[in-house]
Amino acid sequence: MPIATSNFLVPNGTFIVVLLAFLVVLGVIAKYVLPVLNKALTERQDQIRGELEAADKAKADAEEADVERRAVLEQARAQAREIVAQANSTADQTVLSAEARAQAAHDRIVQAADAEVVIARQAAVEEVTARVGEIVLAAAERVIGREIRATDHHDLIDEAIAAVRAETTGAAAGAAGGSR
Amino acid sequence: MFLTSHLLAAPLLGIDISVGDHVQRKVFGLTVNVDIVWATLIAGAVVIALGLTLRAKATNGVPGKFQLLWEMAVGAVQKQVDDSIGPRGAQVVPLALTLFIFIFTCNLFEVIGIGSKLDVLPAPTSDINLPLAMALYVFIMVHRAAVKNRGAGGYVKHYFTRPFPKKLFLVNLFMNLVDELVKPVTLTLRLFGNLFAGGLMLSLLAALVIWKLGPAPIGAVLSAPFTVVWKVFDMAIGAIQAFIFALLTILYFDTAMAPDVAH
Repeated sequence: MPIATSNFLVPNGTFIVVLLAFLVVLGVIAKYVLPVLNKALTERQDQIRGELEAADKAKADAEEADVERRAVLEQARAQAREIVAQANSTADQTVLSAEARAQAAHDRIVQAADAEVVIARQAAVEEVTARVGEIVLAAAERVIGREIRATDHHDLIDEAIAAVRAETTGAAAGAAGGSR
Repeated sequence: MFLTSHLLAAPLLGIDISVGDHVQRKVFGLTVNVDIVWATLIAGAVVIALGLTLRAKATNGVPGKFQLLWEMAVGAVQKQVDDSIGPRGAQVVPLALTLFIFIFTCNLFEVIGIGSKLDVLPAPTSDINLPLAMALYVFIMVHRAAVKNRGAGGYVKHYFTRPFPKKLFLVNLFMNLVDELVKPVTLTLRLFGNLFAGGLMLSLLAALVIWKLGPAPIGAVLSAPFTVVWKVFDMAIGAIQAFIFALLTILYFDTAMAPDVAH
């Protein structure tokens, strides 16, 4: 191959060949490469845009649902408050009426008990008074069983009667205290 | 003083660094730089292969790294076009994108070079023909767009009525002609000059090997690390030049497609 030195600033026949080579490269890039690349880019952009739109829609839906949920919740809260208030007032009423009834029943019972106690005490006193004689006699018999000396045993009889008295009084007082 | 200059000149004394050497053939009476042609064809094949690989693998789902790279390049070009020209500039995107990728690929060939008289795979952009071809293609397309935008009458009128009032139409014509004609020239020379200088730098760094300070082979020791550093730098230059070429193309189209009142 001949090697030659020429003025490096002067173009020669190479110009035509490299120009054609460049135009071929340009043609291939412009016709076959760029459209494919641009198509891929556009499609990807569309895809992303679609996804963004879907995301926006989903977000809007979620917000709507959230608002609805809040409204329902608020409604439910209000209802609950109402119900609780109602229940409270009902309970208050119930308690009041129950207390009133209980007080009434209590008063009745106490009254009845008092009356009963009084009656029982009277009955007891009468019974005891009625039995005093018997007891005296029994006491006398026990005394007589050994020796008859009334003066000596007068104290004994009195003592027995007092004991009976004390017993009946204490019982009546105990009955009255227990009912309270 | 004499010693220093002598030392610096020493590596260059015994070596002949020539420029513009090519494997050449006559085809239909035209001289063709065969090495540049095959390097260009290989660069083109690489770009086309990258493009067709993408075409086969492109997905509208999650893109792989390869596709992501393409999308980044396209996105950057697209954004630049949108920002300066607007939606009307859609037709510029393929040209600007191809320019960037193709020039960048060509420029990377310089990394393979070793700075010999004839590299196996010289950067095609380090020869004037390819930059000139691309710049002229851009020039023609820009003026076609200008005619389409303003109509034939408006296109011609444009040369006379701006930037000064109509009274100075001759000055306007002169300034506009210079402006328009300089564009492809600068576009060509900027790219060519940078890459050509890059190759020349490799030759100089290779020639550094013969520099000895007495018995110490200083040049041989320095040549390799210098070359590595330079190649990394050169890759950055390659990317920047590719970017500038594509960007200026977009800006030229912007000027051509802008409504008349805008400037």
